[in-house]
Amino acid sequence: MEILKCEGVRKIYGSGNNQVVALDRIDLSVEKGEFVAIVGASGSGKSTLLHMLGSVDQPTEGKIFVEGTDISTMSRTQAAIFRRRKVGLVYQFYNLIPTLTVRKNILMPLALDKRKPNQEYLEQIVDSLGIADKMECLPNELSGGQQQRAAIARSLIYRPALLLGDEPTGNLDRKNSREIIDLLKLSNRNLNQTILLITHDEKVALEADRIVTIEDGRIVSDEKRR
Amino acid sequence: MWREYSADYIKQNRSSGLSIVVAAFIAALFLSFLCSLFYNFWLDNVEGTKMETGDWHGRITGAFHAEDLELIEQFANVEKAVVNEELSGEQKTTVDVLFFNKRTVYRDMEAIRAWFKAAESDVTYNYQLLSLYFIRIPGDSMPRLLMPAYLAVVLIVCVSLILVIHNSFAVSMDSRVHQFGIFSSIGATPGQIRICLLQEAFLLCAAPIFVGLLAGIALSFGTMKAMGMLTAELVGGRQVNFYWHPAVFAGILFLSFLTVLISAWIPANRLSRLTPLEAIKGTAEMQLKKKKRSPILTMLFGVEGELAGNGLKARKKALRTTSLSLMLAFFGFMMMQCFFTLSGISTDYTYFKAYQDVWDVMTTVKDTKIEAFGLTAELKELPGADNTVLYQKAEALCRLPKDAESEELKNLGGVTVFGEEVADDEADFRKVKASVIILDDESFKEFCGQVGIAPRIDGAILLNRIWDSIHSNFRYPQYIPYVREDLDTVVLHRMAAAGEAGQVMDEKDSAKVPVLACTDMTPALREEYGKSDHDLVHFIPLSLWREISGKVGGAEPDCYIRALAGDRTSPEALCALEDEIIKIVGQTYEVESENRIQEKLDNDKMIAGYELVLGGFCVLLAIIGIAHVFSNTQGFLRQRKKEFARYMSIGLTPRGMWKIFCIEALVTVGRPMFLTLVLTIMAMAVMIKASNLNALEFIRVAPVLPILTFIFTVFGFVALAYFLGGRKLSKCELAKTLRGDSMSE
Ligand SMILES: Nc1ncnc2c1ncn2[C@@H]1O[C@H](COP(=O)(O)OP(=O)(O)OP(=O)(O)O)[C@@H](O)[C@H]1O
Ligand SMILES: [Mg+2]
Repeated sequence: MEILKCEGVRKIYGSGNNQVVALDRIDLSVEKGEFVAIVGASGSGKSTLLHMLGSVDQPTEGKIFVEGTDISTMSRTQAAIFRRRKVGLVYQFYNLIPTLTVRKNILMPLALDKRKPNQEYLEQIVDSLGIADKMECLPNELSGGQQQRAAIARSLIYRPALLLGDEPTGNLDRKNSREIIDLLKLSNRNLNQTILLITHDEKVALEADRIVTIEDGRIVSDEKRR
Repeated sequence: MWREYSADYIKQNRSSGLSIVVAAFIAALFLSFLCSLFYNFWLDNVEGTKMETGDWHGRITGAFHAEDLELIEQFANVEKAVVNEELSGEQKTTVDVLFFNKRTVYRDMEAIRAWFKAAESDVTYNYQLLSLYFIRIPGDSMPRLLMPAYLAVVLIVCVSLILVIHNSFAVSMDSRVHQFGIFSSIGATPGQIRICLLQEAFLLCAAPIFVGLLAGIALSFGTMKAMGMLTAELVGGRQVNFYWHPAVFAGILFLSFLTVLISAWIPANRLSRLTPLEAIKGTAEMQLKKKKRSPILTMLFGVEGELAGNGLKARKKALRTTSLSLMLAFFGFMMMQCFFTLSGISTDYTYFKAYQDVWDVMTTVKDTKIEAFGLTAELKELPGADNTVLYQKAEALCRLPKDAESEELKNLGGVTVFGEEVADDEADFRKVKASVIILDDESFKEFCGQVGIAPRIDGAILLNRIWDSIHSNFRYPQYIPYVREDLDTVVLHRMAAAGEAGQVMDEKDSAKVPVLACTDMTPALREEYGKSDHDLVHFIPLSLWREISGKVGGAEPDCYIRALAGDRTSPEALCALEDEIIKIVGQTYEVESENRIQEKLDNDKMIAGYELVLGGFCVLLAIIGIAHVFSNTQGFLRQRKKEFARYMSIGLTPRGMWKIFCIEALVTVGRPMFLTLVLTIMAMAVMIKASNLNALEFIRVAPVLPILTFIFTVFGFVALAYFLGGRKLSKCELAKTLRGDSMSE
């Protein structure tokens, strides 16, 4: 089943002389349950693409469908609700709210929808991420790896259609980064979670089912490995 | 969950909440003070109007009997109907009607009128009273000024409070742009973010608004009581009550919350409109956008000056509230001080100083002709008085030959050059305005002695001067002689019979008066002679006036008694003299009386009252600004640790750090002070020019001391704030902060 589809997506920053074409007619299709790595040189447009897919930003041209809905023309409010329910975003810096406990941070997307968490599912995620005993801590009492796990737990709490990661392991040491990738693969396999991951790390890329390479805003190679 | 987020944030960031709490408290305090005061003024006005016009809404005149009165009272909305004894005559009775619901007063009165088949002219309404209840009736033309004025003041205050407070919110909100970016990226809608921020504002401000509101009411209660005590001392002062109503409380509460929530809404809306991407990257706002230099600070204080300049610029937004409120406070305070000083000089000129030596007690005898006043002898015998004059003023026209004008006046071009209306009468005569001052005979004889002629009571003494308004202004007038010294008679005409130019006047409306002397001396009276209209002033003894008043007329309705006390310095002596005069005259005549020292004291008290209210507002504004500096410096540890650690690591000494703080405190207060000083000086220059004052005269008594005290007090608090913030910073080990901990916000 096709879960994500991009048609001729262009993104242009600035205007006139300062114009930067960050993305130039991207066509991309992702099946449900795929684990895709996006690689490319710095400034090639990876983050820009991810932001479009996460409806954090809107393309200048082209269409993006997630589960059949066009997200490129949504209003701000619609886009926010879409992000809440369909997308999990994980960044290099963990982006937790510093004044809220880990538990409250993780449950925030549900709270925004005024929904009660499914305790069983919460425990399952937290246990598998290994932060069960840190739930009542504040983020700055956690190590970097633990903070990133909390961020991942938050992005999975709504069982999103897409999990988007922008170098989630970029700030971690080898051991921690290995563990995080294993966890992502686990949720990819067990929950059939679709994952798109930006990475500079070749080893991480080689864990994926498919590697998409971007250069100067264009897809230059798309290699299915499994 | 949102509430938890806000509560956690508030708990963990008390210092940045402080300035908001203070601002909300002050806003509520001020609004509640103002509204409650206005409410009381309004009801006081209603009471005063009831006393003045009587307590009635509609009035109907006709041939009513007792049973008709009962009938009127049976109309549904009628509260009371009473016969007005004063206005009722033999056949016609006037009935005052009071209604329960004043809104329908017109309809109900019309119904009553229709029932009794009375004419439209038989019904009148108490427009003055009804207008205070905001009821407009066809035919009512009372201007409505009070309410619009109140509303305008409240609106201006609300807007200026919003202008000041919204910055407090903006600072607290903008420091969390990044966090709201995170919220947005995990799916918070703009609406949710806005609501969260407003809820937070509500949580933070509910208590201070409530307390401020009560404090404001208490303050207005105190003010009303104080005013009651003030007016109680005045003659004819009315009891001042404090009024209060739950609806007013609710109104003020609503207004305060509205003000605070609008203040919060402005930055909240701005924040919610940021795209998540801008927000998540968004610490950019807090940093220096472009590297600008601070040439003046660098020149004055060297490297530390430049660093202080950078520090101030980086927190420009956070300091905007401070600048704005300090500027408003300074400006308000300076303008107020200067304005009162200026108006003080002005009243001294035109009133207190100018008349210092010519009166102690002035008594106005209402509706009395001087010829008919019969107590002159008793007044002359008053024990506490040194000198008493009875006088009356009248207006007439004087028929003057053209060549009777003095050489100086002729050289200027004659009396017409001053633009006064002068009727040409025949070819060689002019009719000019004459003001006549009628003195009792004894006083007139004294004046003769003062002028240096033998005492007589069969002619007039002319005040031989005219204000040269071309070569001097009213503040520093120069005079020239009006007529030739040898003028021996003048002819006075009735004012009302002036007629057309050239028309020969009727004999019966004019009188020939011998001139005893032309002088530039004046009798000691509290009068301004001939300055406003360039008129020719005649002093006339009462005996002569008895002969000519039938022909000339034009006397003012009231006459005056001016008394000089034996002991001119003690308030008690003046009050005793005043009482004495009222005792003698008040039995037979209706009188009003003033005394010089009391007048001065009342005037001083009134100005002190104004200064208190206006000064209070300025102080409140200054407190908002200072509270802001405090909440800013209390956050130093968090905000500026890294900045100073960096400076220290490249060799800044602790002394250097203190120097930077001193400079920042100085600039924080100095800049608004300097700007407002320039503004005030400009405004004062315009005002001094407009009031024709000599600038030096103002500068000599300029209110430098109170202004300096105000500024230094504010500076003291700001310096204290910086000291406390700086001490926190100097205690923590800055070297450690350079390592790690960079990503946790
Ligand atoms: N807000 C912006 N305004 C203007 N240009 C931008 C903006 N954001 C990104 N760009 C430009 O778009 C291009 C793509 O940027 P993007 O962040 O997508 O690169 P990236 O592939 O994620 O790089 P990196 O691996 O370093 O994160 C770059 O040339 C960048 O300069
Ligand atoms: Mg990137």
